[in-house]
Amino acid sequence: MIITNYMRSEHRACDELFADAEKSVIDGDFTKAEEQFLKFSNETLRHFKKEEDELFVVFESITGNSEGPTRVMRFEHEQVRGVIGKMAEAIESRDKDAYLSLAESMMILLQQHNMKEEQMLYAMCDRVIPQDKKEETLKNMDKIEL
Amino acid sequence: MFNQGGLSLEQAPPISVVLRFFITGGIFGVILSLFMLFNIDNSLIIVHLLGLGVMASFMLGAMFQMLPVIAGVVIKTPTKKALVVHILLSLGILLQISAFSTSSNPYLYLSSSIILGGGLLYASILMFKRLIEIKDHSSSSKGMLFAISSFIITIILGVVMLLTIGGYLDMPYLLLKLRDIHYSFAIFGWVTLLIIAISFQVIEMFFVTPKYPTIMTKYLILSLFSLLVIKSILIFSSIDTILIDITLSSLLIIYAGVTLHRLYRRRRPTADGSVWFWRFGMILLIISLSTFFIDNLRDITYISFIGFALSIIFAMVYKIVPFLVWFHLSNQGYMEAPMMHDIIHPKRVKIHFFIHLTLFIILIINSFLNFTTLNIVSNIFLTISFSWILYHIVIATRKYYYIQRSFTPIKW
Repeated sequence: MIITNYMRSEHRACDELFADAEKSVIDGDFTKAEEQFLKFSNETLRHFKKEEDELFVVFESITGNSEGPTRVMRFEHEQVRGVIGKMAEAIESRDKDAYLSLAESMMILLQQHNMKEEQMLYAMCDRVIPQDKKEETLKNMDKIEL
Repeated sequence: MFNQGGLSLEQAPPISVVLRFFITGGIFGVILSLFMLFNIDNSLIIVHLLGLGVMASFMLGAMFQMLPVIAGVVIKTPTKKALVVHILLSLGILLQISAFSTSSNPYLYLSSSIILGGGLLYASILMFKRLIEIKDHSSSSKGMLFAISSFIITIILGVVMLLTIGGYLDMPYLLLKLRDIHYSFAIFGWVTLLIIAISFQVIEMFFVTPKYPTIMTKYLILSLFSLLVIKSILIFSSIDTILIDITLSSLLIIYAGVTLHRLYRRRRPTADGSVWFWRFGMILLIISLSTFFIDNLRDITYISFIGFALSIIFAMVYKIVPFLVWFHLSNQGYMEAPMMHDIIHPKRVKIHFFIHLTLFIILIINSFLNFTTLNIVSNIFLTISFSWILYHIVIATRKYYYIQRSFTPIKW
């Protein structure tokens, strides 16, 4: 379960960054919120990149299927990227209500996505990728920068 | 080599699948409150309007939506299947109420057992078959499996009882035992296990809370289900079930306490209506089970349990409906898709919470005082409560179809 554990802990770390930014918006501290939101979006986008450039590629090469679950996950990443863009606009224009409304959508969208990955895709990865390949993939993911 | 069926682009069912059940749940809620308001004192009707018309409608709608997400289960052709279940459920409940109110017409009992029982068994067996195929079970998907199993047991016993009362089966001597097992599986199995299964995912992930203790996510649902099975055997053998009831209640009180503690330690700062509904629901669950063994307080036990179940249902509906409207419209490429707060504003949810809170405080107080005036006031609050949620689901649905009718989506 090393893939599931590694990726799940990244999800939780992103959730905490997301919650920090949301708290600052509620408190009206947009300068702090901007900084925290940037951290959240960078970490989330980096996590997506790790998946799209490493994990999914390995999974697709082993299963010979690039039209299955990884395609759905890539599609959902695009949806999340779209909402990140809108949230960034809301934070820039100091629009608290728009930000909190988008944050609600983002949270559900992101958690639905995370549930699918944690319960299905990562479990599949842990099952089909050989142990040495898994370790190599984790090392390669660590090196990925935005 | 492995099952990829859980992940497909079309996995989210069309919005109509979910909304039809939610609107029906709201309508049955209003009908129920009108029954109460006009003092139609038939507890069988009230219990079944609430348990099936309101709770099962909302819970089946939510299951159609959540199975693909929480359990990776895809129900093929969901629109058709949901339509069949919806028609059979609605018609079946009306027949059942007619049977209970006239009580002398055996054909009403027969037809309601076939239509209502058939519709509910069709839905639950459909979900059960998909859930049991899962290879990598999470605590939530396993919990849903036990909840659905409890629902199937509840339905079968219900059908047997309807046929017995209608005179088609000859076992009236078993009726009281069957009734006790039927209610146990409905209340502690179907409703409670489903809420627990969902909470294991929703609380931690949506409110960013510490994890539930592993021992709880691993064994609680299994233990509760096993206790229900043992309880049924004891009821059948006419042996006292007090020890099982104490264990069952203690486990649920611990669960509610842990959930409240998780919510208290949540990292997400929002204290919207949904959080309050969850908190109040858990407090009511604790009240309900702590009064379970005191005969004089039996009314409080029932009232608080109903309040618990409705609190969690409302908490979920107020998140699911605006999200689905936004999600489906955005996915279809409508730039005009309203944001969640523009579909149902959190202030509206908070107002509903206060209506709901007031209602249950009055109900609990009046269980001691038994004032006619307070009874009328609580029935008015009940009517407002169900009308409020129905109105907001209908408005959200209208917004959805208005955007679809009035704008052109961008293809991408």
